[in-house]
Amino acid sequence: MWEHRCKVAVSGVGFSRVTRSAEIPLAAHALEAVKGAVEDSGLAMSDIDGLATYPELPATGHAVVDGITIVSVNCMMAMLKLPNLSWHVQVETVNIGGAVQQAVNALLAGVCRYAVVWRAMHNPRGTYQNLPGTYAQGASQFTAPYGFGGPGQGMAVAYTRWLERHHQNREKMATLAVTQRRHSHMNPHAYFYKVPLTREDYLNSRMVAYPFCLYDCDIPVQGAVAIVLTTADRARDLRPRPAYIAGYGQRLAFEVTGRIGSLSSYMEGGRSSSRLTWERSGFSPKDVDVAQIYDGFSASVIYGLESYGFCKEGEALDFIQDGRMELDGELPLNTFGGSLGTGRIHGLWHIIEGALQASGRAGERQVKDVNVSFVGASAPIVQGTTFIFVKEPY
Amino acid sequence: MSDWSKVTRPIPIPNEWTKPFWEAARRGVLALQRCQACGHFQHPPYATCVSCMAIDLAFEPVSGKGAIYAYTIMYHAGDRRFAAAIPYASIIVELDDAPGALLAGNLLEASYTEAKVGRRVEVVFAPLNDDITLPQFRLAHDAK
Repeated sequence: MWEHRCKVAVSGVGFSRVTRSAEIPLAAHALEAVKGAVEDSGLAMSDIDGLATYPELPATGHAVVDGITIVSVNCMMAMLKLPNLSWHVQVETVNIGGAVQQAVNALLAGVCRYAVVWRAMHNPRGTYQNLPGTYAQGASQFTAPYGFGGPGQGMAVAYTRWLERHHQNREKMATLAVTQRRHSHMNPHAYFYKVPLTREDYLNSRMVAYPFCLYDCDIPVQGAVAIVLTTADRARDLRPRPAYIAGYGQRLAFEVTGRIGSLSSYMEGGRSSSRLTWERSGFSPKDVDVAQIYDGFSASVIYGLESYGFCKEGEALDFIQDGRMELDGELPLNTFGGSLGTGRIHGLWHIIEGALQASGRAGERQVKDVNVSFVGASAPIVQGTTFIFVKEPY
Repeated sequence: MSDWSKVTRPIPIPNEWTKPFWEAARRGVLALQRCQACGHFQHPPYATCVSCMAIDLAFEPVSGKGAIYAYTIMYHAGDRRFAAAIPYASIIVELDDAPGALLAGNLLEASYTEAKVGRRVEVVFAPLNDDITLPQFRLAHDAK
C-alpha cells in the first residue's frame, strides 16, 4: 500500500454556469468555478498558493486564445493575483486527472498548502470541430482522406469491434443513457437538469457515427468546474468534510499516434492505471461503494468497467442492467449524471462527484453508507487516470 | 451504396516518414514500414520500431488482403465534404501479412451495411490526383 494514502484530500468544489455555447469569455466561467471552490472550503482567495490545470481545447481546429478558448495557469495567475502563490503546473500527457495528481504530489512535497485545480471547456458558436482543410498532415494523412474526422469516429470503430466480437447489442446502452439522465435530475448544475430522456428517445434517436446515436455522445457546452486540494490535517480544519485520496494511477501504455480502432489500447490504458490505484489504496473492485467512470462517449464506460476490473471483458453492457447502476444498486454509477448529463466538461466533474460521494456531500443523490468511492476520470485510451476517495482514513 | 463521386477528400501531405508509403501507392503497391531487425510491421509509420527499439526501418510490399478489424458508419456530416456519401462506412483493416498494423479506408463497391468485423477485404487503388493515390478496400471472396 501507498505510504501517502489519505494524506491529501479534496475540500471545496465549485461550478460555473453551463451554457450550450460561448456567451461570455471562458475565463469568466473558470473564475466563477474557482471562486466557488475556495468559498465552499471556507478559505480566502489569499490562502490559495497552488494552481494546476489541463488547458487543452476540447475540439480540434480552433485557435488557442487564452481566456477565450482556453484558461491557462498564466491566465488564472493574471486574474487572481495570488499574494502567496508558491507552485503551479499545466499537464499534457494525461487529461485533467493528471493536473489533480500533480497537485497531490506538490502538497505531499510541501511546496504548497492549498491548491486549486480547474477545467474550463470552450464551445464556440457555430461549428464545434474545425476539421483539416484541403490537406491532411501528420497522422491525419492516413485517416482524414477516408472521412474520419467527425464526432466520435475513433471511439465508434473500437465500439463496433467490441460489440461484434462479444455478440452484444447496442440497444442495451439505453439503460446507461436513461439512468444517467435520471441522476442528472438531482444535479442542479447539470446542463440536462430536469430534461427527461426515455428509453424510447434513446432507441429512436438519430445515428451519428454507428454504433453511436445522439445520446451516446455528451453535448458540447461551455463551462468550468474547480476543486480545492489540501493536506489531510489542514482539510480537517476546513468547512467541508474531507474526501481523502487513498490512491491514484495513470495509464502507462501508449500506441503509435494516429493508430485508431484498437480496442487493446483502451484496455491496456485502463488496466495499467487502475492496477496502480488498487495497489496503492489496498482496495479491489468489490470494495467500491460508488463509481464515476468517464463517459464522453458512452462506450468509454464499457472499457472502464472492464479494464478497471468491475466485470469481465464483453460483459459490461449486461453488468449495467437490472438496476445495478442505480443509486441503490450494487454499483451506483455516474451518480451526478456523467458527462452525458452535465455536458462535456471532461473528467474533473467525475472527480468532484467521487469526492462529494466520499464526503457525504452529494445531497439528494447521495449513495448510502459510502466509504470507498472510485473515479475513472477520462477515457482509458490516451488520457486515463483513476482515483479512490474514502470517507475514513486508514 | 454510398455515392463518393461528389466527395472532396483531404489530400495527404507525405512527410519524411510517410513518403515511401505514398510513392508505392501511386505505383499500385501497398507497402508498410517494417523493422529490419525484428520483422515487425507498423502503421502509421514511426521513427523507431515500437516493438524492439531498432531504427533500421524499411517499407516492404504486402499482399493487401486482410479483414475488417473495426468500422463505423457515418451518418453525421462532421466534415461537410463527405456529406454526399452519407451514410458511408469508414473501416479499419488488419492485413494478413502485417498483424497489428491497422489501416483506415472506406468500403468501396458495396453497401455500407456490408461492413462487419472479420469480413474479408482486399486493397484497391483510387487516384486522388497525379501525386497521391489512396489505398482503399473492397470485399474479397477468398478464405484466409
